[in-house]
Amino acid sequence: MSTSTPETPPTSATYPAAADERWAAHTWQIIAETPVAPAMNLALDEVLTKAVGRGTRGPTLRVWGWAAPCVVLGRFQSVRNEVHEDKAEELGVQLVRRISGGGAMFIEPGLAITWSLHVPPTFVEGLSFGESYALLDSWAVRGLRSLGVDAWYAPLNDITSSGGKIGGAAQARRFGAVLHHTTMAYDMSMQNMLQVLRIGQEKLSDKGVRSADRRVGPLRQQTQMPREEIIQHMLEQFSTLAPSVPGAVTAEEWAEAETLVAEKFATSAWTKLLP
Amino acid sequence: MAEPQTELGPGHGEYKTPGGKMVVADLTVEQGTLQQIVVSGDFFLYPEETLTLITNALTGQPADASREALAAAVDAAVPPDAELFGFSAEAVAIAVRRALGHDLRTEDAAADPNAGSAA
Repeated sequence: MSTSTPETPPTSATYPAAADERWAAHTWQIIAETPVAPAMNLALDEVLTKAVGRGTRGPTLRVWGWAAPCVVLGRFQSVRNEVHEDKAEELGVQLVRRISGGGAMFIEPGLAITWSLHVPPTFVEGLSFGESYALLDSWAVRGLRSLGVDAWYAPLNDITSSGGKIGGAAQARRFGAVLHHTTMAYDMSMQNMLQVLRIGQEKLSDKGVRSADRRVGPLRQQTQMPREEIIQHMLEQFSTLAPSVPGAVTAEEWAEAETLVAEKFATSAWTKLLP
Repeated sequence: MAEPQTELGPGHGEYKTPGGKMVVADLTVEQGTLQQIVVSGDFFLYPEETLTLITNALTGQPADASREALAAAVDAAVPPDAELFGFSAEAVAIAVRRALGHDLRTEDAAADPNAGSAA
């Protein structure tokens, strides 16, 4: 594995063999963006992953809609090490925790583009973790390139470009399926983010890496396109790679997610799992 | 109870694997042993419950344990089918040592970025 973010796109080394065949082997459901509360987005992630795991749903791509600003903590992050809780509260920024590892995301509606892929384990069969990240981000990289953005996957879990870092991904392997979700910066509001997130020196310590990805290249700046148009265009590109049909969260899944919000994702027992 | 002082505050240590992820250790020292340990960070770990095994393996270790000894304790606690992605047992050991006031300089730390990585 490479130990630094490449300054230029990698060759096919990180792009898994037979990737196109993997995408083409299924009929995918695409679930369009509907703004919901942050905790609901996380509950839907778990519910749809479970549904794929038990076979009641096929491979699914869901675009997230954000109804409120929030910080989404990674599964293993501690609240006090990552967030100024008083500032978050003051600014009306909710605090939630997702089921996948990785780092905190600061989300403001309209400024982020987030999606989840829910796939059966066979989709990533035979791949290393690094390769599975590359594979599951590859449709987005392709979509971004078709928009004229010089994007590529950068280990361990970033999408970056010659114009700066674009986004990051995280995976959870649970419930008999694989969840891969990615957030990209459409636009940045550094001022609020720096007030809410704690960003320490150690995080910036391996400078060879940080010099590349500290520079962020939001998509508005790189494409001059409205957010919705970018999403629409990327989904069209997805469909050229992966046969897909419009999908929806079923009434049963919705109810299951509402229960999960109440019992897990909106509880402090989960959010402050690591205080 | 002797709480060590580090540049990041007593009982708090951070270590970022070069090209990888951050591991944070928060702990106290009671009667010469590590207690109340919380290991956190932006790493990836499968299955997720492995974190509890790591924390349990560190609890009760001598506060003067070497990096090697702490890494070995973590390694022994991680089941063969578990995957550490973006960090390693050694990275956890360094974060713990830093919480105890050791290995504070980057050049003293430098865990092998590939150790324990799945890819």
